Amino acid sequence: MNLFDWSFLNYEFMQRAFLAVIAMSLFAPILGVFLILRRQSLMSDTLSHVSLAGVAFGVVLGLSPTLSTILIVLVAAVFLEYLRTIYKNFMEIGTAILMSTGLAVSLIIMSRAGGRSGVSLEQYLFGSIVTISQEQVLSLFVIAAVILILTVLFLRPMYILTFDEDTAFVDGLPVRAMSIAFNMVTGVAIALMIPAAGALLVSTIMVLPASIALRIGKSFRTVILIGMAIGFVGMLAGLIVSYYGETPASASITLLFIGIFLLVNAIYKLKK
Amino acid sequence: MRYITVEDLEFHYDNEPVLENIHYHLDSGEFVTLTGENGAAKTTLIKATLGILKPKYGKITISEKSIRGKKLRMAYLPQQIASFNAGFPSTVYEFVKSGRYPRQGWFRRLTKHDEEHIKASLDSVGMWEHRDKRLGSLSGGQKQRAVIARMFASDPDIFILDEPTTGMDSGTKEDFYRLMHHSAKKHGKSVLMITHDPEELKDFADRNIYLVRNQHSPWRCFNVHGQDQEVAHESL
Repeated sequence: MNLFDWSFLNYEFMQRAFLAVIAMSLFAPILGVFLILRRQSLMSDTLSHVSLAGVAFGVVLGLSPTLSTILIVLVAAVFLEYLRTIYKNFMEIGTAILMSTGLAVSLIIMSRAGGRSGVSLEQYLFGSIVTISQEQVLSLFVIAAVILILTVLFLRPMYILTFDEDTAFVDGLPVRAMSIAFNMVTGVAIALMIPAAGALLVSTIMVLPASIALRIGKSFRTVILIGMAIGFVGMLAGLIVSYYGETPASASITLLFIGIFLLVNAIYKLKK
Repeated sequence: MRYITVEDLEFHYDNEPVLENIHYHLDSGEFVTLTGENGAAKTTLIKATLGILKPKYGKITISEKSIRGKKLRMAYLPQQIASFNAGFPSTVYEFVKSGRYPRQGWFRRLTKHDEEHIKASLDSVGMWEHRDKRLGSLSGGQKQRAVIARMFASDPDIFILDEPTTGMDSGTKEDFYRLMHHSAKKHGKSVLMITHDPEELKDFADRNIYLVRNQHSPWRCFNVHGQDQEVAHESL
C-alpha cells in the first residue's frame, strides 16, 4: 500500500466516508474535551445507548430513525442533567441508569418489531462509515457548523463552566441552562454520528482524541485544536486501514486511537 | 455600606438541619473571618449566602451596588479548588485572564487596561514569571496563588474565600492576609474568609463569625468578638 495512494477516493462510498471523517473531526473532539473536563466522559456512551431506543421507536412508529433518535436523545440529555443535580456526588449513577434503560428499551422494542422493519439494531450498534448516505454526511456538516459557531461564541463561558461550576455561578453564568444546552447539543451530535460510528464506538471518536490532546496541549484552545487534528488523522488512518485491511472501519479507528493514546503516553513517560 | 445581610437562615441536607437561625452581615471595608469546628457547615453557609445552595428558610440580601455606585461584583474562591482541577488544560495567564470576562463582558475583546490589570494581579502573588506554564505543572502553593490572581483580576467588591491559604508557606500566607487587609481598608472591599486559624489573622481581621454546635444538634451561628463569645446572634 502506497502512502500517497488515494485511489480509494475514486469510490463514491469512500468519498462520503472521507467527508464524514472531516465533519466528525471538526466537532467530536471539541465535545470530548468538554465531556472529559466536566467528568462526563461516560455521557457519550449513555446518550449513544439511548439513541438505540430512539432508533427502535422510529422503526416501530414508522418515523425517520434519525428524527426519533434526536427527540429521544434530547429528552435524555435534559433528564441526565436532572440526575446529575440530584446525585451530585455520584454523577455516574444517572449515567449508568440511563445507559441500561436505553439499551433495554431498544432490545425489547426491536424484538417485538421482529424482522418486519428491515432495520437491524446491529447496524446502529456498530455503525458503518462506508455505508452512510449523502444526507447523513450533510447532517454531520450541519452539526459541525453549529458546534463550531457555538464554540467560538461561548468558549469563554464554557472555559469557566468546565473549570468549576460554583465559580461560573458566582461569575454570573446561567450554569444549569448552559449544562442542559451542552447536553442537548452533545445528544444531537451523537444521534447524527451513530450511523457512521455505531452506538458502541461513538464515544471513542469523542473522548480518545480529546484525551490525547489533553496530554499534549498547554492551553485550552490548543487542546481543542490538537484534538481536532488527532481526530482527523486517526479517523482517516483508520478508514484507510479498514479499506485495505478489509476490517470494520469503526473498530479500526478505535484501535488506532488507542495506539496513538498509548504512544503519546509512552513518549511523555520517557521524557520525564 | 451594608453589602450582605443574612437573616434567620436555615439550611437542611436531606431534611436534616445543618444550619439554623443564622444571622450575620458584611459591610464594605470589613475583613471578617468565619470559623468553627470541622463539619460546622462553614462552606455550606458561604454557598447558601452566594445562592449556590438554596436555603430552606431565611432571607439573604445582597446589595446591587458597590460603594462606587457601580454593579456590585463578588469573587468566590472555593475550598481546594486548585488541587481539584489540577489537570485543567490552561496556561496560568489564560486562566487569570478569564477573571476579567465577567467584568468586561463575555464577548468583548480585552483592553490594554485589562492586560495591565492581569499583569498586576499576577505580580501581586508573584506568579508573573510563571504565566506561560500549564496550571497542572505548578506546585500546590503556586496553583493556589494562580487561583487567587484570577480572583484579583476580576477586581471584585466582595471576596468570599474558603480556606484560601491552603498549601502556602507562612510568609506567603501573611503577605496574602496583608493584601486582603489593604483591599478592605484602602479600597473599601469586603472580605469574608473561612479559616481554621483565626490566631494567624488576629492582626488583620475586624471580627469573627463563629459557628458552634448546639446541644440539640443543629449548627448555630454565633458571633464571637475576640474571646468574648456572645450566645446571641449577630446584631443586624
